[in-house]
Amino acid sequence: MDTTQFTGEHLWPGQLGHFFVIVSFVAALLSTFSYIRAAIVEQDLEQSRIWKRLARGSFMVHAVSVVSIFIALFYIITNHLFEYHYAYEHSSYDMPSEYLLSCFWEGQQGSFMLWTFWHAVLGLIVMRTAKHFETRTMSVIAFVQVILTTMILGIYLGPDIKIGSTPFMLLRNAMQNAPIFAMPDYMDFIKDGNGLNVLLQNYWMVIHPPILFLGFALTLIPFAYCIAALWKGDYKSFIKPTLAWSLAGGAVLGTGIMMGGAWAYESLNFGGFWAWDPVENASLVPWITLIAGLHTLLVYRRTKRAFTVTMIFLLLTHLLIWYSTFLTRTGILGKTSVHAFTGDGTALTYHLLIVIGVLMVISKIAILYRWKQLPRIKTEEATLSREFWMFIGAVILFLAAVQISVTTSIPVWAPLAKWITGKDFAPPTDPVSHYNNIQVWVAIIIGLLSATIMYMKYKNSDGKTLAKRLGGTALVALIMAALIACGQDITTWQYDLMLFAACYGIVANTYYGISIQKLKFKKLGPSVAHLGFAAVLLGILLSAYNKHAISLNTTGVPFNFQKETQQETIKENMENVIMFLGVPVAMGNYFATYIGDSAVEGKDKRIYYRVLFEQKDTTTGEVTDRFMLYPDAFINPKGQQGLSANPSTRHYWNYDVFTYISSATDKSKSDTSSYKSHIVNQPGDSIYLDNGFMIFNGFSREIDDPRYTPKEGDLAVKAKLSVYNMEGKQNEIGPIYILRDKQYIMQVDDTVKSMGLYTRFGALNVHSKDSASLDIQVRQTNPMDDFIVLKALIFPYINVLWIGIMIMVFGFFISLGDLITTKSKAPEA
Amino acid sequence: MKKTQIVLLVLIMAAIAVLISVFGDFSSYETFASAAKEPKKSYYIIGTLDTTREMQYDPKTDANHFTFFATDKAGSLKKVIFNGEKPRDIEKSEQIVMMGFMDGETFHCSKIQMKCPSKYKKDMVAVGNNG
Repeated sequence: MDTTQFTGEHLWPGQLGHFFVIVSFVAALLSTFSYIRAAIVEQDLEQSRIWKRLARGSFMVHAVSVVSIFIALFYIITNHLFEYHYAYEHSSYDMPSEYLLSCFWEGQQGSFMLWTFWHAVLGLIVMRTAKHFETRTMSVIAFVQVILTTMILGIYLGPDIKIGSTPFMLLRNAMQNAPIFAMPDYMDFIKDGNGLNVLLQNYWMVIHPPILFLGFALTLIPFAYCIAALWKGDYKSFIKPTLAWSLAGGAVLGTGIMMGGAWAYESLNFGGFWAWDPVENASLVPWITLIAGLHTLLVYRRTKRAFTVTMIFLLLTHLLIWYSTFLTRTGILGKTSVHAFTGDGTALTYHLLIVIGVLMVISKIAILYRWKQLPRIKTEEATLSREFWMFIGAVILFLAAVQISVTTSIPVWAPLAKWITGKDFAPPTDPVSHYNNIQVWVAIIIGLLSATIMYMKYKNSDGKTLAKRLGGTALVALIMAALIACGQDITTWQYDLMLFAACYGIVANTYYGISIQKLKFKKLGPSVAHLGFAAVLLGILLSAYNKHAISLNTTGVPFNFQKETQQETIKENMENVIMFLGVPVAMGNYFATYIGDSAVEGKDKRIYYRVLFEQKDTTTGEVTDRFMLYPDAFINPKGQQGLSANPSTRHYWNYDVFTYISSATDKSKSDTSSYKSHIVNQPGDSIYLDNGFMIFNGFSREIDDPRYTPKEGDLAVKAKLSVYNMEGKQNEIGPIYILRDKQYIMQVDDTVKSMGLYTRFGALNVHSKDSASLDIQVRQTNPMDDFIVLKALIFPYINVLWIGIMIMVFGFFISLGDLITTKSKAPEA
Repeated sequence: MKKTQIVLLVLIMAAIAVLISVFGDFSSYETFASAAKEPKKSYYIIGTLDTTREMQYDPKTDANHFTFFATDKAGSLKKVIFNGEKPRDIEKSEQIVMMGFMDGETFHCSKIQMKCPSKYKKDMVAVGNNG
């Protein structure tokens, strides 16, 4: 053992934190055991009550401990205790305080803690609301909490086997071999932490993870209810709570996923809101299966059909959350994902595999145990029944999830495939087309089904009414789709079909909500959610199909069905354009000019680049639209070379202009220009510049320049200069010459930033009483030295997508509200 | 058989058919030599940057043109032309995954993914999109 006495460390927050980790683990374990006992001895009311009381108490202790771990870690981060590895790695002094929370969930352990926290909160709600399901659902929830707390346990069994990793690890233990830790006063040398990845210094990073993890956590509750229902053999009363929790999960997880999309769109330069990146797919897949399970559960509620498949979908959803954790945390996606996720070594890989295995076995046992007595219905459903088509829709959703998973999981199954075929499989070279070409069919079918089933009734529907309504809807949708297709120039037939499906969904659900449901708010949930879904499809189609780079003015072709040649694919990447300071560049309908940059003083080391966009009327040449964009970048962040950029977007109601910097000059190195003298003799004399000219207008003794404070005995003169650029725009500047106490010469320079012009009052030579010559020194930054490389994209109608998502989520909440407020008179067939 | 079962069977068969038909979309990790066998077809190549040779990126002449030399896993050295801006920190990368195709003796690449060792963590940085 190391016996060095270290100074300057604060050990108690970590020790306290670690203590609470262990308490939360033990309490969850005790709670699980007691809940299971309470469920087993259910018949013996007295016994069961005692066990239940113990279980509740220990779960509450667990919940309090989880919160305490949070507080301990938060204390360490906010107080910049860099002796802790977590604080050192994820925070720094110069970090704006609002991001202190973000660095909490930047790391592996912090995000596990966030997840644990949500489970604990939801567990407390379930404890109060589950009634006769409490013992069983809570057994499952507490058990999952046991598993989750092992993730942050950080206990070594022997030298090689580690269970979890603690967020309270000391820096000197994390990097034992570094020589600095041989010094007892090493803390005196650690001045600052690594800080948050600059890409993550963004408000989305503050809100996206908590919402997403709440969505993850919400899938646990339907999982717990399904296990509980199977365990208890009660296939009826679990329906309502499961439905409610699934609706909440669908809404929150959906919001979380799309927040990720919005984040990628607004502040990461992924060039869009969805890239079919493995990490995005990993959270989309469980959402899809959750939605499938939600719909089959509705079928089961009304018709007693589709019980087994509901169980499978809902159990699978939570398993897929764990699988997505496995994909994103272990580094297995390594070379296939854009996300900068890191692996925590093989320990985590095995840990997660074991967890998935255990949960899968529990699910299987629960289903197989009851297999013979699961509710089944012998008769066939009618072809025109709602349940029949809902079931088909759910299966198609499930198959879509399978397809996405198969491609996303390439790194998982590639070693096996290599062993069999000898080929080293890699993801598709054009993943966006790969997914789009398949998923467009899912979008078409689900779009059509989600609208059509609204017109159908459970059990059976009247064929004539149905045909009349469907026909009318299809006609209106067809006209709408045709107009949009012509207007937006959507020519690929598959996408015309998708456009039709989206229009059909919008028309059908609007009509259904207004004239069939008579706008009865409480019942509007499904039609609103489906309307939102259709709008999402429309928004995706419009914005992605006609997304194009104006920085090169070539149409992007991610939706192309024809196999393109490599040259065409490469063209797509040539979306960068170089912009020299002050030189307008034609971009689409705009002229864009880079007119300078501004570094923000203080903590934040980012540089904002000002790019002026002007739209001119082609005949009159008048400027019809003008706006400024400020894409920013961190130049050489954290001693790295190059830059890290954030986009800037101009939003219009019908399209977005999206720009970001791909490259920029480092001013500290590139400016090589120097001052040159120009002599002027009388007012009216001019000096020619690289990008304009300058006229000397005489002297002035009246000086009101904030940079100059007059002093007794000063002789101060200002040279009045008018600067004209190429377009004839005028700027007035006045460099100042000061003779102080008759001996010191001081000069105050003046500049025109947009022209890269620096002027200095060099010297005043008096020849005679009324003739003097003035030396004006001019420095012009070489315009070729100051440039940015910009990418600019147009996303048409992207607002339709965002509004669609909001409508859809709103629909979920209407349904949820209806479900909670309606006393269980729901027609259970 | 029940109607549901028939539909289910048809759907699953269709899904399998789709999965098999898109199998051709999947690419593979190759070396310069094996990628050269099928010129103009895109593959992934894992390699390392040769820092001893010149890297060229001059945005003033072409902002979408960056050339460098890379060694693949089999040890062969080729010139690589990347259609895009020079990825930041590529000098420090310990491994690069390049997507593109061979054309004669040069590798034309439209997407680069790098593995950079920073002092205490390993980050992945990706460049190039829409790829």
